[in-house]
Amino acid sequence: MNKIVTGLVFGALLGLLDGATAWFTPEARSMIAGILMGSSIKGLVVGLLSGWFARKVNSLQWGIAFGATIGLFFAFLVALQPQPSGNHYYLEIMLPGFVTGAIIGFLTQRASGPSKQTV
Amino acid sequence: MIDLNDSILDHLRHVLDEPELSGTRYELEAEIGRGGLGVVYAAHDRELRRRVAIKVLDSTLPPVHLEEEARIIASLEHPAIVPVYDAGALPDGRAYYAMKLVSGQRLDRYLNPRLSLTERLRVIQRAGEALAFAHTRGIVHRDLKPQNIMVGSFGEVYVMDWGVEGVAGTPQFRAPEQAGREPDPRSDGYALGALLQFLLPEDAPRALRAVAAKAMSPAPEARYPDIPSFLLDLQRFQDGLAVEAFPESFWQRTGRYARRNQVLLLLLAAFVAVKFFLFFLRRL
Amino acid sequence: MDPDTAIGGPRDRFPSTSHSLLEAVAEGGALPSEALDQVAAIYWKPVYKYIRYKWHKDNEEAKDLTQSFFASALEREFFQQFDAAKASFRTYLRMALDRFAANEYAAANRQKRGGAVSLAALDFDGVAAEAMQVADLQTPEAIFHREWQRQLFALAVEDLRAHCGQSGRQLQFQLFAEYDLAEGERPGYAELARRHEIPVSSVTNHLAWSRRILRTILAGRLRGVTSSAQELRAEMRELLG
Repeated sequence: MNKIVTGLVFGALLGLLDGATAWFTPEARSMIAGILMGSSIKGLVVGLLSGWFARKVNSLQWGIAFGATIGLFFAFLVALQPQPSGNHYYLEIMLPGFVTGAIIGFLTQRASGPSKQTV
Repeated sequence: MIDLNDSILDHLRHVLDEPELSGTRYELEAEIGRGGLGVVYAAHDRELRRRVAIKVLDSTLPPVHLEEEARIIASLEHPAIVPVYDAGALPDGRAYYAMKLVSGQRLDRYLNPRLSLTERLRVIQRAGEALAFAHTRGIVHRDLKPQNIMVGSFGEVYVMDWGVEGVAGTPQFRAPEQAGREPDPRSDGYALGALLQFLLPEDAPRALRAVAAKAMSPAPEARYPDIPSFLLDLQRFQDGLAVEAFPESFWQRTGRYARRNQVLLLLLAAFVAVKFFLFFLRRL
Repeated sequence: MDPDTAIGGPRDRFPSTSHSLLEAVAEGGALPSEALDQVAAIYWKPVYKYIRYKWHKDNEEAKDLTQSFFASALEREFFQQFDAAKASFRTYLRMALDRFAANEYAAANRQKRGGAVSLAALDFDGVAAEAMQVADLQTPEAIFHREWQRQLFALAVEDLRAHCGQSGRQLQFQLFAEYDLAEGERPGYAELARRHEIPVSSVTNHLAWSRRILRTILAGRLRGVTSSAQELRAEMRELLG
């Protein structure tokens, strides 16, 4: 699997996993389908961008940092949307988004394929 | 009968030990080392205007025989084998080789407590590659030991003193079945295992000790079949994989997997921790 | 093969070059007296000095013991028991000397037996007069080793002198003596060239020749008292290294 494909696959999987844990929050259960969809797409986007970054820069530390940053950013965009209750769930969305972004960043760095620059 | 005082005696011993290089293209500079079979000198090659090392063998074999051996060894072109430039017989009958002058240290002197495990294994890998290459050409080293390995100023590794007949090897590095028999590639394998054992620090991982022990098994059939197999097992260790020589228990395998994937496991643990944290935060 | 290294014609002129004493023992038959003489010639001085230094004997006692040792110990059994795998012949002889001195000390045993080796020609008085200048830190074994080196070289130098005399190479030996046997400061090659009215390159060549022959002579002497090529190699290293 090359870096882009790795990013897409694991981004989707981890996004799905992240979204699925929303089931443990009773008030979110009714929207689980939408959460899963949104989370997977978020994961795909983060994975694509992380994969692209990994092709440019070969560095585990920078890859993790990049993934975590864009994971946090896109999670923030999602958290900006108010929930039906009117509340924002910044912490519940951004913190896991940050960590899954880091994991995706790590996996794309480890995937096979050329990198333009090694740091 | 002449009475030789100490000063004259020492002078005679010194001048007779020095090789007479007249008639060759070399000018003697200085002695740089003594090995089991001869003395190595730095010399100047007048024709090519470069410094070389000259090994003068104090063998009683006819020079013709040694020149043939020199030709065989000179045919070994490998980055870890010191190139032989020239060979011949001195006027006094002693045979000599002229070869690349390696500036560096013998492995036994290069070794120090601060040397990393990675570096120690790198030296073994380089030496092993040279041996494996030579074996494909039908040449056995016969006397592999730390004193016969040089590490150059840029970290390059050279295996020296190849295949000189009549050498029985050094006890610590000599395969037990070789007593009284001609060394073969398996004896080089044993010696490489002994070299690994020599280089391993006291707190070396058990897997590495197992690799060395397998290479040094008293029964030849229990050892690695050849040098490449030995090197492969070493490489497996360096890649964090299981080595053939060390059967792991479930927990050892799990521990090795965890060490190999530390970062990923840490990140996954962070993910789980975050989820748990958020779950309990909601409860408060 | 350089004809100059085929010393003095027939190879048995230097008895050791063709047949080692130890080989003769291994083959059985009578011990060639010439071969026994080789052993005595090399070892009598080291033995004598060793006895004097280790057991603090005076000249007469040391002379007696030396003669007894060579007369009684150097029999077939002595050589047959030599095991090259355990030690060099030189070490074996020295250890045998230790045992001999300990066991044969009784005056009654000092009488010569058989006399296979003639030591009449040995200059005990001469060696007694040699200054026994030994450093305090030297062990008897070190002295034995050193005297072995000294005696071998002395014998070889005499052989070289004889060879040069017989082959008309007096100049070569002269140069060798003036340079390599010089006490104190050595003359330069230019000085030697001037003295003998020859080019400097000739001085270099003649000295190189003499040293080459000397080396060959030494190897020949040692071959007679070593049991294998490997031991010879090791002994040459001990001698020169």
